[in-house]
Amino acid sequence: MICEICNKNPATIHIQEIVNGQKKVLHICAGCAAKKSTEDPLLQGFNVAEMLYNLSGQFGLPFNPEPPHSHEHEVELECPTCGWKSEDLRKNGKLGCEDCYSTFKSVLDSALKNMHRGSLHVGKSPGETPDKSCGHIMLEIMNLQKELDELVQREEYEKAAVIRDQINKLKQDVNNQ
Amino acid sequence: MNTEISQLLNNKVSWLADCGPNDDIAISSRIRLARNLRGLPFPTNASPEQMKHVIATVETAVQKTSLKDELLRFDMEAIRAIDKQVLFERRLVSREFIEGKIPGALLVTGDESLGVMINEEDHIRMQAMRPGFQLGPVWDELNKLDDELSALVPYVFDKELGFLTSCPTNVGTGIRASVMLHLPGLVLSEQINAVIQGVSKLGFAVRGIFGEGSKNLGNLFQVSNQSTLGESEQQIVQQLGSVITQIISHEKNARRKLLESNQNFLLNHVGRAYGTLRHAYILNSEEALESLSALRLGVDLGMFSSIDLHTVNELFIIIHPAHLQKYAGKEIDSEERDVFRASLVRERLKNADKR
Ligand SMILES: [Zn+2]
Ligand SMILES: [Zn+2]
Repeated sequence: MICEICNKNPATIHIQEIVNGQKKVLHICAGCAAKKSTEDPLLQGFNVAEMLYNLSGQFGLPFNPEPPHSHEHEVELECPTCGWKSEDLRKNGKLGCEDCYSTFKSVLDSALKNMHRGSLHVGKSPGETPDKSCGHIMLEIMNLQKELDELVQREEYEKAAVIRDQINKLKQDVNNQ
Repeated sequence: MNTEISQLLNNKVSWLADCGPNDDIAISSRIRLARNLRGLPFPTNASPEQMKHVIATVETAVQKTSLKDELLRFDMEAIRAIDKQVLFERRLVSREFIEGKIPGALLVTGDESLGVMINEEDHIRMQAMRPGFQLGPVWDELNKLDDELSALVPYVFDKELGFLTSCPTNVGTGIRASVMLHLPGLVLSEQINAVIQGVSKLGFAVRGIFGEGSKNLGNLFQVSNQSTLGESEQQIVQQLGSVITQIISHEKNARRKLLESNQNFLLNHVGRAYGTLRHAYILNSEEALESLSALRLGVDLGMFSSIDLHTVNELFIIIHPAHLQKYAGKEIDSEERDVFRASLVRERLKNADKR
């Protein structure tokens, strides 16, 4: 469905309201919703767009779940510790043991990116709240990773290489802790 | 009857019976953590012997924590199907857990505020639950239990990926925080779809009362975080908190507007539902839930002075099949249940009126 205001973007927000006993439905895109929210009484009352924009600004990172990749051209893997196979992972989306995370790393890396807001743990470690553990380094790595992704997208590979080295050094620090 | 189950049925359930902040709209706040033991396959891929070993290890550890004096224990292999269903209807276990054929156990405090599922999808799934909207205290309580347990059993932990879980959707913090909301105002004013879409865009899930795939009967919605990696537990809990705050204010707005511009419609909606609950002799669970939702809205709006929220909250749970059969004292089929449900609801509301 296309946005009823700009007739361009896909309509992702559908607002329904009963006005004078008549059902009124508006299908619009997030951008138009943000623009319209200040003037249109229909949106003033509810304002889902405002909620959306305020909160995503607050969260910093956009959340973009993507459809899962097709697994057609992947190599068949098997965990040496527990015998879990690529097929098992495909079938129920779960892993067999802690070592499966390294066995299936190639598949998991991109999948994790689509499931979560970041790719590194910044929370507590066993028995420790984050400020006592290496949470701040993880946060730094995450920010650098974001920068790296942007540089790669803009094809600025020289700058990207510098950032990548920084990331690797920080990761080493964490592992030596 | 299993004595632990009858103890549960007679106990005061803290998250239903106590007052909590914003409990006119937020029914309960819950947080769950997923943890696994080092050196053993996840329950998805473990042998029955390995799972029994996990149960013994985790149980011994939990018995050494500050919870030790108040625990009830349920062995999933030993208890009857209907008792499992009671645990499920009380939101103490997941559907996967009671349907699984693997050795598992549940340890839960008498007031049902803290529980540990052993061998669900992960070796350890611990949860804390409180009435109303209060994620902060729930997190503090669960975090403390997690700290205590981590000193007693070796968790699987990776410096980059955090706590490793059977399903990669839980990896990192292993945290799932959720608030159950009663949103009749947004549903009646047909704004609920917009809210659900907005909330999903932000990466939060909206589900029915019994989780994944369940219908949002009775206008009850559970909102929870989906991302568990890349942010700290506190950040995740805070973000969910701000989403919930927004939804609560939208619901309040919707209710106010309905009251201002559509008063007769609203009074009629609530009054008819009360009539049904108070006088029906056959009541299926869908109609019961819809009517209870309308009654709860009426109670929130001050239309019934004699009925309190907790009577309604409790009815939301005990009208489900396994609870009904426990109250009936025998197994009854669905037709008989509809009759028994109607009489149980009539009785409870009559008693509330007398008070
Ligand atoms: Zn548009
Ligand atoms: Zn494995």
